[in-house]
Amino acid sequence: MPAAEVAARVRESLRSVKAADLKDTQLMEVLRLAQQLTDTMQMFFGSLDQSIHTEFNAIASYISRTRDEIAQLRPNDIKEQRIPIAGAELEAVVGDTERATETIMSEAEGVMMLDADDPDAYKAAVDEAMTKIIEACAFQDLAGQRVSKVVTSLKHIEQRVARFAATMGVNDADASEDERAEADRRRKLHLNGPAMGGPETGQDDVDALMGMDQDAIDALFD
Amino acid sequence: MAVEMNMPILVVDDYKTMVRIIRNLLKQIGFENVDEASDGAEAFEMMKKRKYGLVISDWNMEPMTGYELLQNVRADDTVKSTPFIMITAESKTENVIAAKKAGVNNYIVKPFNAGTLKAKMAAVIGDF
Repeated sequence: MPAAEVAARVRESLRSVKAADLKDTQLMEVLRLAQQLTDTMQMFFGSLDQSIHTEFNAIASYISRTRDEIAQLRPNDIKEQRIPIAGAELEAVVGDTERATETIMSEAEGVMMLDADDPDAYKAAVDEAMTKIIEACAFQDLAGQRVSKVVTSLKHIEQRVARFAATMGVNDADASEDERAEADRRRKLHLNGPAMGGPETGQDDVDALMGMDQDAIDALFD
Repeated sequence: MAVEMNMPILVVDDYKTMVRIIRNLLKQIGFENVDEASDGAEAFEMMKKRKYGLVISDWNMEPMTGYELLQNVRADDTVKSTPFIMITAESKTENVIAAKKAGVNNYIVKPFNAGTLKAKMAAVIGDF
């Protein structure tokens, strides 16, 4: 029941009691105090009603905006279309690469085992193997196109997530315990993976490091 | 002392094509007695059963990495003296230093060629 309605009912009850023409002054004093208390409470609860109403409006507005932003993110499109298609494309790249590698290596191994006693037959066999190797290299064109599609999908997803995070003012949460443990394991085992754009330390520098004693290596980092 | 060209060599890599490439390169330079393992744990078990003249290992494998294999080998009296070459795409200076500290005999950065493999093998096991 709203605060205003409660106050109205209390006031009505007080009026009824006063109208009974009571002579007891103490009772009249109590009734006056009750009247003041009721008026005060009405003001208090009235402001509380307004405050709660405003809060709920703000929450409803936030939920509505969040729902709109999530819709803009198009999570179902990401989950059901873009990620599965990107995964399938990458699997296809791996498959194409494996098949091409198998062909190239088999042909190369075949050439290495050829008998060169008959030059004409040797040349014909080498030509045939080289043609198959060249044909197999066509995988690079397909792989390039497939990877481009994956990159395009990742860019779409990146843009949507970035917009969502910026609009909603999202901050990154701390990594989970599992993620921290895995990162720690990879750091301890020096699992860095291949560097972008070629080896970070070339073979000559590796050889130099392998030839240095430990004190000289330590001195590099002083 | 002359290198025994028929000595068993253990190649450890989880990528079958790389194992095949290394096997072909070894064959090209005269070594055909080659065994294969797909991670450090499998390689370590094989080393317990057969004495290898050389181990050529990748670094980044699961569940046991080549770095852990190297540490295990150097900590085990029965196999600790086995020559060990790391062939890996892990090319940070910290990797090379960590491998050196752990007792690797040589370190080859991928991609590599037959000449590099032959030179590093000769530096470890002697000219052949």
